[in-house]
Amino acid sequence: MSAILLIVIPLLAAFLSILVKKYSANILLVVSFASVVLLNYIPLEVITIGGFAAPYGINLILDQYSLIALYAVNVLFFLVVAINCAKFKKLSSILLVALAGLNGMILTGDLFNLFVFMEVSGIAAYLMTTTNQKPLATFNYLVQGTVGSSLYLLGLILLYAMFGTLNMQDMAFQISSSGYHIAVTAFPFLLMFIGFGVEAKLLPFNSWVQGILGSSNRLTGPMIASVYAAAIGFVLGRLLTELFVFEGTLLLIVTAILGFSIVAGEAMAFGAKKVREILLFSSIAQAALVALVFLSGFTGLAALLLIANTAGKLILFLITNTATDQLGNDDISTLQGLFVNNKVVGVSFTVAVLNVLGLPMFFGFVLKMNILLEFFQTDHLLWPAVILIVSVVEGIYFIRLLLKLWFKESDLPQVEFEFTLKYVVVVVAALLILFGVYTAPVEQAADDLTAIQYIEGGNL
Amino acid sequence: MKNFLALALSLFIGFLIIMSLRNNVAFPEYGTVNVASRVSQAYLDRDVTENPGTVIFGESVNLESGPANTVTAIVADYRSFDTLGEVTVLFVSSLGVALLLGTKKQKRLEVDFHPNFMLRVGSRALFGIILMTGIYVAIHGHLTPGGGFPGGAMIASSMLLLYLANDSFRAKIKGFKILESAAGSAYILIGLIGLLVGGYFLQNVLDNGTLGSLFSAGFIPIIYVLIGLKVGSEISGVIDNFLTEEGV
Amino acid sequence: MLQYAAIVLIMLGLYGILTKRNVIKIIVSLNILEIGLNLFIVSVGFVDGGLAPIFTSQNATNDLNFVDPLPQALVLTAIVIGVGTTALGLAIAKTIYAKYGTFNLDEMGEK
Repeated sequence: MSAILLIVIPLLAAFLSILVKKYSANILLVVSFASVVLLNYIPLEVITIGGFAAPYGINLILDQYSLIALYAVNVLFFLVVAINCAKFKKLSSILLVALAGLNGMILTGDLFNLFVFMEVSGIAAYLMTTTNQKPLATFNYLVQGTVGSSLYLLGLILLYAMFGTLNMQDMAFQISSSGYHIAVTAFPFLLMFIGFGVEAKLLPFNSWVQGILGSSNRLTGPMIASVYAAAIGFVLGRLLTELFVFEGTLLLIVTAILGFSIVAGEAMAFGAKKVREILLFSSIAQAALVALVFLSGFTGLAALLLIANTAGKLILFLITNTATDQLGNDDISTLQGLFVNNKVVGVSFTVAVLNVLGLPMFFGFVLKMNILLEFFQTDHLLWPAVILIVSVVEGIYFIRLLLKLWFKESDLPQVEFEFTLKYVVVVVAALLILFGVYTAPVEQAADDLTAIQYIEGGNL
Repeated sequence: MKNFLALALSLFIGFLIIMSLRNNVAFPEYGTVNVASRVSQAYLDRDVTENPGTVIFGESVNLESGPANTVTAIVADYRSFDTLGEVTVLFVSSLGVALLLGTKKQKRLEVDFHPNFMLRVGSRALFGIILMTGIYVAIHGHLTPGGGFPGGAMIASSMLLLYLANDSFRAKIKGFKILESAAGSAYILIGLIGLLVGGYFLQNVLDNGTLGSLFSAGFIPIIYVLIGLKVGSEISGVIDNFLTEEGV
Repeated sequence: MLQYAAIVLIMLGLYGILTKRNVIKIIVSLNILEIGLNLFIVSVGFVDGGLAPIFTSQNATNDLNFVDPLPQALVLTAIVIGVGTTALGLAIAKTIYAKYGTFNLDEMGEK
């Protein structure tokens, strides 16, 4: 069993599924489940493609880090698909391609191959968002996504011109052993970071997010905010730890971008009047926070925080978008009292919110606390302060939201949640609590990830 | 005002690019590239996995990568995985165009343009020539500039000519779908054959032959023909989708 | 010199994307940006007096002065990806026209 199958099987299924449209939804379901199962049987290794060793050929890197990323992305993808595949049959082939693209993005060890897979999954994402029935927002997403990936490619080509390689590890090695001053790579790295920033929802490159997530449906909301966010976050994390060298002015610019994203995201969430807007602005802030933790070198914790956030977002967007589909809009006043008659769903929603907030007893708490401790140990007092303050802001608007959703005397909104959805959100919520109480494996996993022997170069 | 800001931003970015290139010791000046310091030299020498000595056109036999066109050797052999991704991009965007513009299409779009006598006759004469050139370019991709993508684009342009020359012409889109699916699957199957026989996905397990002969380079001409068919049918499908509308 | 031309094209494309209010013109600007980028990629591999990296009966051995073939292969991939995005962008433009009856962003009456 080779990890290449995680990319090849969905692709082959996509090519074949256009002939048997009737069964394409079933194919999608089976393949996405098979990917999750397959993950248990693949060994950790570096996979060479075409028989040409890196840096001449393309290689796929399956280490502890990408394995965790694959688990997160494939499981989330399967859950989203399981709930939606009957309703979005037309998109089945496109979703299969998206799965191949996301897996490829996480696995690949080649920077140009990463660009190709970024475009594959990006185009699939543009197509999914057309189901929002907001062609203008989709167009905006397409233009910004394309400009972003063009900037990434420009940065990559500058690096190639200087160091003559496209392989990620070889590039990091060449840069550290070349003896050039660090400034020569500053501009290409900035371009690549900005290019990724567009996809990773970092301010100020993310004006597509509001149009896409603000009018998302049950497929696109969880898909973009959860599955794609997880995949992009993990890839950005790998680049930040293994390749990018940020120092001096560049480090200042990048931290300023991230800090601005965190503060502005939370501020906008605080002022938002619609449930989905609160969620999308808070996810902007969280994406930046994860990137910041990666940048600070706490790889393991950042990876787990990413999983905690995206799993939480899956629950939140699924529930909100189901309610919105049935009620017509997502103003807080419309959704007020939603959980009075839907206690099970309400509890899961609450768990997800409290997890994102980082309250004790939840997965997010263990991670946030460890991150704060790590920051204290490195004598960086600015970031813990920022994290604590935004957590308070987050707490205010989320608790306010929860109170509205739980309490209303009369005139309750009528929303039906089907069994599959309930099942999924309850299981995910239960997992979030389980890992919040039983913390030993979480801390162990974080340590393991950080302990990976990184190659020379990069930030570590 | 907004335009001025945009102009200032564009100029600033251009200025940044130029400055970062000019003051950069590591960035080679235009035309002074040292290919030997890059991975590309190994592609030219074909010595990634073995040491063949001097590569000579028409004489070197069974190199690690057989195409005389080194760009093809990279696209379809050394970095074939990129090409698979690229084929996927085209696949998903043609699928998306079909999805967006409606699938139940019955008639051609009404436009204020009707082919005249010259166009009708000329296109009939040119159609075959363009089609043959496209196929030629796709088949000879490993020897001359070109390959599956330009070849496929040429095949699609001959289809476009048919659409332009006849107001009511419609290609058999179902046939294109089958072709597209079969060619894509065959590409992956070739990759899997490599995985089963040689141990690496997309490995070229056939004999590479003599550098420069038509029957050389193992799987690569086959892959390029498949890509040519796939690209041709996909772009033809896109053309059909833009030129038709729903209705009776 | 060619590199400056490529950078000018990239700037032009960026300017067009930022200022144009017509959906089709934005797609055209995006294409100009991509062409500039592709030109830049090819220019990165150019060697003075270099030959096209194809073995022929005239240029028969690998001791000759070839240009860098890798950027050319990358450009091929980038072009095809650009074609895919452009086709999709045009299809989305068509659905925008079907919904709003105009290509102009200012006349659509919503953000």
